[in-house]
Amino acid sequence: MRLDTVDQEYMYSGHVGCPGCGAAIAMRFFLKAIGKRTIMVIPACCWSVIAGPYPQSTLKIPVLHTAFETGGAVATGVRAALDIKGDSETTVVTWAGDGGTFDIGFQALSGAVERNENFLYVCYDNEAYMNTGVQRSSSTPYGAWTTTTPGQEWKRLRKKNIVEALCAHRIPYAATASIAFPEDLVQKAKKAKAMTGSRFIHIFSSCPTGWRMPSEMSVKIARMAVQTNIFPLYEVEEGLRYTINYTPKGYLVNEYFRLQGRFKHLTEGDLASIQEMVNEDWELLRRKAGEYSS
Amino acid sequence: MTLRQTAVNCPPLIIPCSRFTTESNKTGSWRFLRPRYENKTAPCSSACPAGEDIPRIEMLVAQGLFKEAWETVLMENPFPGVCGRVCYHPCEQVCNRREFDEPVAIRTVERFLADTATRNGLQPDIKRLNAKQQKIAIVGSGPSGLALAYFLARLGYESEIFEAMPEPGGVLRWGLPTYRLPVAILKADIARILELGVHIHCNKTITPRFLDEVTGHYDAVFLGCGHSHSLPLKIPGEDLDGVEDGLRFLQKLRQGKEVVLNGTAAVIGGGNTAIDVARSAARLGAKPLVIYRRRQQDMPAFDDEVTMALEEGAEIWELRTPVKIAAVEKDYVLTLQQMEVIGEDARGRARIRVQLNKTEEISVQHLFVAIGASSAEQWYKPPPKKSSTMRLSNCSILPRSQGPTVVFGGDLVADIKSVVHAIASGKQAAMALDNLFQNGFDAIRAGIEPNLVGDGPSLSMENYLGWPRTQSSRSVVHHEDLNTDYFRFAPRIIQPRLLREERLRSFAEIDLKIGTILGIREAERCFNCGICNQCDNCRLFCPEIAVVRDDTTQNRRINYDYCKGCGLCVVECPRSAMTLEEECLCNRY
Repeated sequence: MRLDTVDQEYMYSGHVGCPGCGAAIAMRFFLKAIGKRTIMVIPACCWSVIAGPYPQSTLKIPVLHTAFETGGAVATGVRAALDIKGDSETTVVTWAGDGGTFDIGFQALSGAVERNENFLYVCYDNEAYMNTGVQRSSSTPYGAWTTTTPGQEWKRLRKKNIVEALCAHRIPYAATASIAFPEDLVQKAKKAKAMTGSRFIHIFSSCPTGWRMPSEMSVKIARMAVQTNIFPLYEVEEGLRYTINYTPKGYLVNEYFRLQGRFKHLTEGDLASIQEMVNEDWELLRRKAGEYSS
Repeated sequence: MTLRQTAVNCPPLIIPCSRFTTESNKTGSWRFLRPRYENKTAPCSSACPAGEDIPRIEMLVAQGLFKEAWETVLMENPFPGVCGRVCYHPCEQVCNRREFDEPVAIRTVERFLADTATRNGLQPDIKRLNAKQQKIAIVGSGPSGLALAYFLARLGYESEIFEAMPEPGGVLRWGLPTYRLPVAILKADIARILELGVHIHCNKTITPRFLDEVTGHYDAVFLGCGHSHSLPLKIPGEDLDGVEDGLRFLQKLRQGKEVVLNGTAAVIGGGNTAIDVARSAARLGAKPLVIYRRRQQDMPAFDDEVTMALEEGAEIWELRTPVKIAAVEKDYVLTLQQMEVIGEDARGRARIRVQLNKTEEISVQHLFVAIGASSAEQWYKPPPKKSSTMRLSNCSILPRSQGPTVVFGGDLVADIKSVVHAIASGKQAAMALDNLFQNGFDAIRAGIEPNLVGDGPSLSMENYLGWPRTQSSRSVVHHEDLNTDYFRFAPRIIQPRLLREERLRSFAEIDLKIGTILGIREAERCFNCGICNQCDNCRLFCPEIAVVRDDTTQNRRINYDYCKGCGLCVVECPRSAMTLEEECLCNRY
């Protein structure tokens, strides 16, 4: 695997992410694609910590650390200020976790994209509030253990489909990406950068700490999420035109769940019903992309 | 803690950028597991009796570096042209790709390299050690003797070969039909060995007195005179005029004698010689009939050869053994005893016994016997096990109080009699003699052992010379050690061959050449098990940006100041060229 941008680094070593952090990998790939002329808005999330305490920064681009619920609003303001200065080259990016996107930051995000603000919103999704101690979010998948869904009280609600919610706003571009598919991620980030209006990228970023799995499995598990259809790779233009970017090999979900401690309580029956949900979502997505099954 | 101030080159922006990096945080102190680059041994290399560095050869071919790939073959095997055609390729049986789709056609790629080198007139850069004073006499110029001469020359020793026949090559020259091995290919491989300064005396038959005659002239004598004496059937009628010995028949053909056959040609035996005779007979106009006492699947002949013999019209009568031969007019009447299977031995071969009162008679026009061979002279045989003989996997060494040390090699000592085992024998003998001369008889085993490839018994000359392959670990990469997510299904090359009709018209080589694109494509299928091919995954996925480029052999190294030991690089390495091990805490500060 080779990326033509691979030699450009916009991150320094010495950040304080956990070993095997998927969010750090996501940032690294994303910045390779997006380049130096970027201002990044980071609402409260793991990356607020990873980027380092003032005056240190692990990123080579300017960063605004902002309040949890303000990702969309602050980016709107930064964009407006740049526009007043006549700077149309700098890209404004909001880099938020799933809590700051699916839950707490949702109204600011929804407001900003409804106005079709000219910015790029990236949600790196590790499926819970990992930074504060693994509390469930509306991104936590069905079946997962978190500290707020402990023991037999595991989460019995489905993960919110955030891309669909964004598509409902008919934004120019919404896409999913994974740290295990760097070419796809970089290509989507470049494509989004070249567009104007509100753009949204949902990056699946595994979390060895919160998912209770060995750190070396981080990328492997992210890859399996795609291979099993749990996290399909696709993009949507104007909220309508769907393209599926990866046709999975049809792996069963079991192995993905078996490798993670957060799912260890699930029975064969639970896994069978999860497989049904995954199949159903996949069929729905294929229909939207115009791939009807016979 | 000192914060290194780094000037960050920012565009003029409204929002200022932090001027301190996080590089002052030496996150390497978090690490309790340590990844490192470690080349390992591929199963194919370990299974190759010549110990060729196959994953590296395939990698170099895939990169278009044909000369380097060819030289990598020559490092361990002086016969790429021969082995690329007639080797029974045990490497392909254990190829990790077998569990993924189909094994890599390793032999085809080796032949491609040999053909490419010949076509372009490449001259290999063969490094040689300083000249030594000892001199070795080699009896027989078959693959083991020639391989020994080649490896000895590279180690700096002078050797002379004594060959009874008018041309060198042994069984390769006289025992293999040209449709398997054209003579020009053999001559090219031999010429390269002789260019190293090896002297060869043809038409020189040696006698038992040879060992005494050469005392003082040579420090060691290698007996690699092979099995040229066919075993007898020991049945009545065997001595009838016209009942031919298979090996002699093949030799006659290789000497260029004109032979025309007609009717049915019966061949007794199930080894490669029997199949070679049957297929040659088919080309000369007869209908071959192979008679074997066990089942077809038990035949020692290589499966490919048997399949092609059947394609060419040979018939196989299994579970029959001849008990009498009689001449009736110009034909032979063969009485065959039927056998029955009563079980299997440890190797899965049928155990058989005579089926009483079940015999049949068949009338044939030609009869060949090819049930195996042994050494032509009793004194060629290695002495029975006794304390003074050192028995290694592919050769036996007999030290003598007077006169030169005697080494028995090639088919004389081999369990599996194949070309590549003969090469292995020559290589092992070369290492053994070098140790004998430099460090004494007792140092031989210890001197050879570190050069085993993987689980052994194959040996690496590159290791012996202390060249880069020494740094590879001997642990063998298994399929479960690979990250196959990075590999795509790709069909194995289909070896282009002459049509059946074309084959039967002449003794022309059956397997055709493959072009550069096909050769590269096949080499690209190789997983390169255990060796770094610079895929860059380790650097790409490192969350700590702790894999950095440099000018070491991997072209990259791990910056342990920042590596947190997550182990991602080791799992994402598709080919198990990295190892994760426990951090030694004493290393840290």
